[in-house]
Amino acid sequence: MDSSAPLDQDLQNRYTSHHPLEEPRPVPAVERKFKRHIDSLAKVFEFVDQFIIQEKVDDDAKHAFDLAVDELFTNTVKYHPSNPNDVSIELRTENQTLFLVLTDFDVDSFDLTKKTDPDLTGSLKERTPGGLGIYITKKVVDDVQYQYNNRTSVITLKKSFRRKNV
Amino acid sequence: MFDIRLTETGDVMLSGRFDAAQVDNAKAVLDRLTVTTSVDFKDLVYVSSAGLGVLMATQKRLSEKGQKLKLKNVSGHIREIFKIARFDLIFEIE
Repeated sequence: MDSSAPLDQDLQNRYTSHHPLEEPRPVPAVERKFKRHIDSLAKVFEFVDQFIIQEKVDDDAKHAFDLAVDELFTNTVKYHPSNPNDVSIELRTENQTLFLVLTDFDVDSFDLTKKTDPDLTGSLKERTPGGLGIYITKKVVDDVQYQYNNRTSVITLKKSFRRKNV
Repeated sequence: MFDIRLTETGDVMLSGRFDAAQVDNAKAVLDRLTVTTSVDFKDLVYVSSAGLGVLMATQKRLSEKGQKLKLKNVSGHIREIFKIARFDLIFEIE
């Protein structure tokens, strides 16, 4: 192939917007704390969406990430309702991968990565919604990691994305 | 912003984000259904597992009377979530 030949527009767009080496700059992480209440979900979405728009994250990755964040935050509210501590959410991107770190303070350990997948093959009568949120989260992101230390739970999600041309 | 309403023709219209904070709003409408009903997802941006749980509970309740929810205008993103959750096995999706 003649390397001096001009790239066609499609390939050029792909190169300029999707090449994994295009992003040498580290994007500073942003972090915010949220009240442990289901009504905080709207503010969580606002925070995440603002970052996603700023980083020009494509719609598929945005939808997957919104869903995963919702499921994780909802779980913290559901399983530790009386915990007075706020929940921290940190967002950053590295090389077109979106990272979310959710930190939950003074909680018991619950390693979601080891949770057994629910049985989704049963009849309607046999089906229950239990475990669906964690299962979906694991399916829509690329990686979920769990760390627990000093009664602090840290969940890290990774999701690769394409940068939108806007 | 989430909204759920019954139309004059008896369909259910959903719009916005159907997350855990909207479960009570959704149940207030879905619990009133007693016959087979179309649920229009045209303006629904997003549904979480909490929303899926409400839809599943309604489907169970209606199926005991030989009735069901029929879902229509489901977006690609939501259809993908339905596939992951295997809701395609328990719902008729037009």
